[in-house]
Amino acid sequence: MSARNAIEETAAYWLVRQGDGLSGEEQAQLDAWLNAAAEHKTAFWRLEYSWEKAGRLSALRGPDTLVEAMVEAMAETTPSASPRRGQLRWAVGLAATLALAVLTSTALLWPRPAHYATDTGERRLVALSDGSRVELNTETRLRASMSPDSREAWLDEGEAYFEVAHDASRPFTVHMGDRTVRVLGTRFSVRREGEKVQVLVAEGRVRLSGPKSGPAAKPVLLVRGDVATGMGASVLQSRTSDQRVDDQLAWRRGLLVFDQITLSDAAAEFNRYNQTQLKVLDPQTAAIRIGGSFEATNVEAFVRLLQSAYGLEIDHDDGIVKISE
Amino acid sequence: MVGDGELKAWFFREVFPLEAALTRYIRRNWRNENDVADLRQDIYAKVYTAAQRQLPLNARAFLFTTARNHLINTAKRAKIVSFDLVADLEASFPEAASADLDRQLTARDELRRVQAGLERLPTRCRQVMTLRRVEGLSTKEVAAHLNISVSTVEQQVVHGLRALTDYMMGGQGRIRRSPSKTPAAKSESQS
Repeated sequence: MSARNAIEETAAYWLVRQGDGLSGEEQAQLDAWLNAAAEHKTAFWRLEYSWEKAGRLSALRGPDTLVEAMVEAMAETTPSASPRRGQLRWAVGLAATLALAVLTSTALLWPRPAHYATDTGERRLVALSDGSRVELNTETRLRASMSPDSREAWLDEGEAYFEVAHDASRPFTVHMGDRTVRVLGTRFSVRREGEKVQVLVAEGRVRLSGPKSGPAAKPVLLVRGDVATGMGASVLQSRTSDQRVDDQLAWRRGLLVFDQITLSDAAAEFNRYNQTQLKVLDPQTAAIRIGGSFEATNVEAFVRLLQSAYGLEIDHDDGIVKISE
Repeated sequence: MVGDGELKAWFFREVFPLEAALTRYIRRNWRNENDVADLRQDIYAKVYTAAQRQLPLNARAFLFTTARNHLINTAKRAKIVSFDLVADLEASFPEAASADLDRQLTARDELRRVQAGLERLPTRCRQVMTLRRVEGLSTKEVAAHLNISVSTVEQQVVHGLRALTDYMMGGQGRIRRSPSKTPAAKSESQS
C-alpha cells in the first residue's frame, strides 16, 4: 500500500467516525493528525467534499411522498445560491428523476424508515403499518421501519408511548442509542435524553438490552409497573404502582402529574413543553415540593399558582420566567 | 496567512470541482498509471501550502501550474524519464477555455454521479453506504439493522467512501483494499 493510499484510508476512517460523533480526546487526535501534514488535510477535505455530496441524496429521499422530497430539496438549496438559479432548476429537475431512481432501487433492498417529529408542546399519534400505534410527546424524533420479517423503530430524542400489535413472528424493536427494547406485543413508554434512557411498562413484558459489548449486556426483563432507567453502563430497575404508571403517562392527556417532586424538577418538566422557560434562581426555592396535576402547555397558570399559593417572586424577562423567594 | 476555514471553502468551491480535468492532465503527461493518484495528492498538498500565504485569484491556472511544475520536478528527480517528456511538459499548458463548461456540468452531473457511483459498489457495501449516508443511520444503527459488527460497517463505509469519491471525481470507482488493519484500529488494540 502506497503512502498516499494509507493517508487516504486513515482520512476515510476519521471522517466516518466523525459522522458518529468524536469524543474530546478523539477530536484532539484527529486535529493532531490533520495538522501533521498538508497531505493529511487535503486528503481529508477531498473525501469530506464527496461525503457531503453523497449526503445530498438524502435530501431527495422524502419521508412520505416524492412531492415532499422535492419541496425539501428546493428549500434546502434555494437560500444560499441566488446567483445560480439556472443551475438549481436543473438540479431540482434532476432531483425528481434521481429521487425516483433512488426510491425504486432502494425500496427493493430494504424498507425506508419513516421519520416522525414533534415540536415543543406538540403531541402526535402515529399509526404504523403493522397495526401498532405510537404517541409522540413534546420535542421528539422517531423513525420506524416495518418489513415482512422485522419491525424496528429508533427513538432519536424525546418520549414516545407504544401500543404494539401482537405478532409473534415479527418482534418489535425500539433502538435508543446503545440500548434496545424488544417486545412481541405490549404497551410501554420510552424516554430518551441523550444517553439517559427510561422505559416504563404499562402492560405485558419487554426486554431491555444494553450495548452488545458493555458490562450491562445482559438483558433486563421488565413487566407491568416496572421502570428501568439506564445511563452509561448501568441500569436501575424499580417497581411502581398502577397510579404512578398512570401519572407518568398523563402527558398522553396533555397533563403533567407531580407527586411531591421538587420545584426544580417540575420546572424542568414544564420546560420540555413550552417556549417560555422557567428558571428557579435560588436553592431554597428549587427544593420546594410540588404536587398536583397541571396542563403541560399552560405554563402561565402554573406560574400564577406559584405566585398565589407559595408567595414566590415572579419576574418575566424575554421568554424566561425567573422564580425566587 | 489564510485560515483553514477559508482554505477549505476555497478547495470545495474552486479546486475539487476541477479534479476530473486535473486527473486527465496528469494521466496524459505521465506514463505510469499507478502514480496518478499519488501525484494528485502531492499536488493538492502543494496547492494547500502555497494558498496558505494568499488565495490565488485564478484557481484553475494556479492548480495546473502547480501540477506541471510538480510533474517536471518528479520526473527530473526520478531520472528515469526521457528528456522529451520534460520538454513536452514545459511547453504544455492546459487550456483555461473549458473552465466554465466544467463548472456548469457539475451541478446537475454531481447527483447523477453520486447515484451511479453508489450503484457500482458491491451489494453489501452499497447497502451499508446508503443506510449510513442516504438514510442517515449511525454506524451502530446500521450494524444493528444488518446484524453485522460495527467494525464491519466502518470498513465498508471507508471502502465505499473512497470508491465513491474516486468515481465522483471522474475516476473508475475502483480502490485497492488494504490487507492490513487501519491505523485507527491498530492504535486502539495497542492501548
